[in-house]
Amino acid sequence: MALEGTLQDMSLSDLFQIFRMGPKTGVLILASVAERGIIYVAAGKVIDAVLATSPGNRVQAAQEEAVIQMLLWDHASFVFRHDANVLNRSPRITQDGEWLVMEGMRRREDPARATPYQSITLDTKLQLSPLPSSAESGVSLDVNQWRILSQVSISPNLRTICEATGIEPAQAIRTVAELMAIGLVEVVIPTPAAKASTKSVAHDPVASMAPAVGSSDLAATASRMGADCGERPQVGRGLLEAIMRRIRGL
Amino acid sequence: MQALKIVITGSYAAGKTQLIRTISDIETISTDYEVTLDEERQLKRETTVALDFGTIAINEQVTLYLFGTPGQERFDFMWEHLTVGCLGYVVMVDSTRPGHFAETQRLMSRFAEITDAPYIVAANKQDDEAALPVSYVRRRLGVPLEIPVVPCVATDRPSVKGVLLSLLRYIAAQSQASDE
Repeated sequence: MALEGTLQDMSLSDLFQIFRMGPKTGVLILASVAERGIIYVAAGKVIDAVLATSPGNRVQAAQEEAVIQMLLWDHASFVFRHDANVLNRSPRITQDGEWLVMEGMRRREDPARATPYQSITLDTKLQLSPLPSSAESGVSLDVNQWRILSQVSISPNLRTICEATGIEPAQAIRTVAELMAIGLVEVVIPTPAAKASTKSVAHDPVASMAPAVGSSDLAATASRMGADCGERPQVGRGLLEAIMRRIRGL
Repeated sequence: MQALKIVITGSYAAGKTQLIRTISDIETISTDYEVTLDEERQLKRETTVALDFGTIAINEQVTLYLFGTPGQERFDFMWEHLTVGCLGYVVMVDSTRPGHFAETQRLMSRFAEITDAPYIVAANKQDDEAALPVSYVRRRLGVPLEIPVVPCVATDRPSVKGVLLSLLRYIAAQSQASDE
């Protein structure tokens, strides 16, 4: 048994919410016309994902980037199957579901300017968003987010920010992605030549894509029963309680 | 002999037939026929083109009849016949098929036009680990808070008893409220 449907019935962000509420554990498989994605969910958290071509099973993206790309899909079918074995799988996604959904929304709204998470490098040049999104109001930033934000306008790239703040590069990249999701920071769009040199997606094949009575007589009987009783039968409390007692005793 | 009637409705393959089979005193009379549409065939080999019928003897004078409506909208002309004089009705919905929610909403609207009998919603297949939670089913169907939405496993007798008892309690509460 499984939860099945299409993204038109239920969006991926809705599914993430359901997984958290459960909390559910299992494998979500999405299939669009040309691609197929797998998202692993452990105790309500999205812990890993892969996106591959179909047919061909060539990996297009993995982890956060795979989920974000799937969040951009409007037409795909999905199947979610409970699988307790996912609890034994090592998490490879560090961002939580809400972050992923926000990043997906940001890319949907502004695909030209949005930058995949994996393509943020130490050479990435950042700038403060000229028109911060409404998400800015009321948002609370942690210390690392504040430190990086304070350096964005005066540093030529992320490497300089790391040197100035002492934040580890991996942490800095994650923090920049968070600031981008909030809408406070954006990447300065690289030139086409620079873009060509930043191919970051692995191309390993996917190991396994886990994963008799006549009806008119009865209708007439039913209708007659109603007619005998009037439009709505008046049933006393005593009779209702007798019915409930009988049903409890079944 | 007094005959009382409860109607079990819901969209295609929601579990209406199974619920009646699980609780009925008698071998249920079902008028299932092989489905004709490809999409339907993927879900169910046979479908209820007319209705299911089961009984529960309350005592020597009173029998409770359970009538299952045909799921497909093309048979909705039957619904009016079935709802006349019913105590109340159960709307069944498959908690693992969000694609059926829109159809269930249309069905609920149609039933609200046909009858003012009290109803509850039974979120079926709650034994499936992947099932959508009852609270989500309520929200997606837009069921008002005062109307019970209860978990259901149509193959499980205690669960079906729970559904019918919820409906009867709701009917009793409605009846009391209208008396006051």
